[in-house]
Formats: sequence, C-alpha cells, structure tokens
Amino acid sequence: MPLFDYSLLLTGQYHDMLVAGLWLSLQLLVVSLVCALPIALVVALLRLAPVAPLRWLGFAYVESIRNIPLLAHMLFWYFGAPELLPEGIKQRLYEGHIEAYSAIVALSLYTAAFMAEDIRSGIRAIPAVQFEAGRALGFGFLGTMRRVVLPQALRVTVPPLISQTLSLWKNTSIATVIGVAELMYQAGQVESATFRSFESFAFASAAYLTVSLAITGLASWYHHRFPVRTL
Amino acid sequence: MRHTLLTAALTAAALLLGSAAHADQLADIKKKGELVVGVLGTDEPATFIDPKTRQIVGYEVDLVNAIAKKIGVKPVLKQIAVAARIPELQQGHVDLVAAGLTHNKEREAQIDFSLTTFVTGQKAVVKKDSGITEVSQLAGKKVLTIRGGTQEPNIRKAVPTAEVVTFDTSQQAFQALQQGKGVGYVDDEAALLRSYAKLGPQKAKYVVLKQNLSTESLAIGIKKGETALKAVVDDTLRELEKSGEAQKIFLKWYGPNTASGFQTRDFKLETDKID
Repeated sequence: MPLFDYSLLLTGQYHDMLVAGLWLSLQLLVVSLVCALPIALVVALLRLAPVAPLRWLGFAYVESIRNIPLLAHMLFWYFGAPELLPEGIKQRLYEGHIEAYSAIVALSLYTAAFMAEDIRSGIRAIPAVQFEAGRALGFGFLGTMRRVVLPQALRVTVPPLISQTLSLWKNTSIATVIGVAELMYQAGQVESATFRSFESFAFASAAYLTVSLAITGLASWYHHRFPVRTL
Repeated sequence: MRHTLLTAALTAAALLLGSAAHADQLADIKKKGELVVGVLGTDEPATFIDPKTRQIVGYEVDLVNAIAKKIGVKPVLKQIAVAARIPELQQGHVDLVAAGLTHNKEREAQIDFSLTTFVTGQKAVVKKDSGITEVSQLAGKKVLTIRGGTQEPNIRKAVPTAEVVTFDTSQQAFQALQQGKGVGYVDDEAALLRSYAKLGPQKAKYVVLKQNLSTESLAIGIKKGETALKAVVDDTLRELEKSGEAQKIFLKWYGPNTASGFQTRDFKLETDKID
C-alpha cells in the first residue's frame, strides 16, 4: 500500500463523491450569503433605529444568535424548529432536502448577526453631520440612510463583510452533523469506505484552502480598486 | 504537489519512528499497567453509559474486562467516534477497539481482528403507514443510519437507489426517523431492537423488516501485526466460551429479559475467520 495514493483523488467514484461534496459546500456558501446580507442590513438598521423597541429587537437578535455555538443552531433548525410546522408542510419538507434547508437557515441567521454588527460599525464610521444634513434637506430616517449614509457606509463595510464570508465558508462544514452531504461529510464517507483518511481529508483541506484564498484575494483586490474615501 | 510529497514523507518518518518505539504492544501494556480500549459508549447494549453510575458498561465492556484481567492490568475505556475507530487504533491512541466493529475483508488489510465476538444481521425499521414490507421497497426513498460503519455501504449494496442520510450517533438517526425525515432506519439488529424497544407504546406505528440487509461478524480490533496481544485476546475469549461465561455475558445483555430479547445465542467465540 503506497502511503499517499493520488489516484483516489483524481478519478473514479471517490473523486466524484468529493467533488459533489465541494459543489454542495459552495452552494451552501452562495445561498446562505445571499440570504444573510439583507437580514444583516435590516438588523443593523433596527439597531440604529430612532424608536427604542426596534433597537431592543435588533440587540436581542444579535446577542441571542452570536452567543450560541453554530452547532447548537444547526441541531435546533434540523431537529427542533421544523417539528413546529403544520403537518402537511412538514411532510413535504421532510421528503425533500430538509437537511440542506435547515443548514441554510442556520448559516444565514448566524452569519447575519455578525454581518449586522459590521454594517452597524460601517454606518457609525460615517460622520453624524452627513446624517444631519440629510435630515435638514427633508429626508426621513430611511430616506437619509438610503440616499446619503448607506452608499458611503457599505463601501467601508465591504472588507469586514468579506472576512465574514470567509467564516461562513468554513462554517458550512458544520452542516455535516445534520447529514448534509457537503465536503466534510463526503470526505468522511470516502474515509470510511476506503480507510484512506489522509487522502480524503487532504482533498477537503486543499479545497477549503483554495476557496478561502480566493475570497481573501477578492478582499485585497477590492481594497486596491475601491479604496475607502477619506472624508 | 511537492508539499504533499514532503508531508507524506514526514508522515512516513513519523510512522516508522512510532512503530520502532512500539516493539511489542503487549509488553508496553504490561509496563503501563493499563489496557486502553476504544469504545463507542453510545451503542446500547454493547457499550453505553449506565444512567445511574455514569460508568460505561455493556457486553463488549465485560469481554474487555476479562481480557485486561488475563493480562493483569487495569482496563481504561476511551470513548471514540465510529469513523475514528481504525485511525485511533493505527496511531496507537488505543490498544484495542471494542466498538461494534464489523470484521470484513476490506478492513483486514488495515488491522487484525480477534475471534468473532458477535454475529448480527443488519435490519431496517420503517413506519407502518409507509406501507413498506420489503427492503427492496426502500428504493428511491430516504434511509437514515449512523456514519462511518458498514451500514451505509450495505444499504447501497441492497438498495442502490436509496438516498442514505447519515448521522454521528444512532440516537440522532433514530430521532430523524421518528420525526419522519426518512422512511427507514438501518442498524445492527441488536442495537435496532434496543432503539425499537425504547419507543414504548409508539412501537405499534413501526415495523422491523424481517429480511437481513447483511450479516455482520463483529470482533475486537487489534493493531496489525501485534501477534502477542492478539493471542492473549483470543485465548481469553476461548476461555470465556469454555467456562460458559460467554453464554452468561450474552444473556445478561441480550437475553430474553432484555430489550433485545434474544432467546438463543447462535454463534460461539471460536473463530476469527469470516466467509
């Protein structure tokens, strides 16, 4: 038995399994990111809202999500939450890809809490006079946010959001605990079928690293191309 | 490419050094004064945590205790994950693995096995209202089981088109079945009957399919080439069989008065050969 057998990774059934896992991991990343961004924006605005109860709501969301491990969120959204749905919907869901849906919900809500804080910091980095000027011109809270503050704030926020995307990418691996056939899951399956642990997890590690480096590269390119405007 | 080769070379060096340091595992065990055994601890009644004493107990634990006693050392149980069983053994983190380990041809290249300690069929349990009465009817349906064992490859062999979803523990997989996240749950017969018994009055809603997906010979895993250790393990098991102790241990955990409810034992601790 050779110590490291490349052929396992490059062709055949096990290669296909690993590639299918990588593909599903990437899908989890993209869908969760697309869902998390709007939630994060809404929560950030809630936390800065002029009305106190809305601020509390935003605060409660961020703190309750951020302070519980993602693993617990995953198990809750898979074993707990769907049980509360009405019978008909539940049955339909369970016959389909409930594992992946639960993972996406958990990942989106979890990532959104972190992103909301980044967006809030970005908004607060914009001098208060910008906001006051908007109000003086007759815009409301939302109007000022949309037309004056957010366009500047989101530009400041992009680098930390990319770093959250990096975390999200690594967090997709937690979905393995609820039976989502993503990359770590498939690596584990290949391992238990062949006992070539080293090769299967080498593939997984290399894939995670490659995508992570691509995300990091994107961040530095953005910095270079769209530097933050000094006010 | 070059980095992977370097890593491989380093690993090889580490493995060689490791194996040189462990000339004879049995001597090491005696020197340490303890026999470290990897167990699942989530696999009732083979190895599980007694709710009263919080100690790991079970059929495999009794066998392991007998082995430790024969060597004259203290047994130390270490909980490991299903998928980690073979690596833990190969890397020398544990001396033996008693964790519902199936003895099959593929695994013989990796590790050695003791005499067969248990023979079980793998079976499926389904919800009655699914209308399924044959294993073949699981085709195209979601089937739930535990990860890292032989269950999944066996399902794929028996029903190639089934969509298999696996979990870290059998409890999670069984929970998913109860919630209707799949139509069938597959496990070793003894473990499956145990989970089934736990349903209580809900049992009427489920049915265990008669047909075996496969027959499994379970054994204790031993690091490859540790002949002295294997000899002690096998001798202990043979003695248990001869003295009638093996029968007693079996009935204690699997007999008519237990949730598994086996009436007879249709195997003996006598051979380490599998068909």
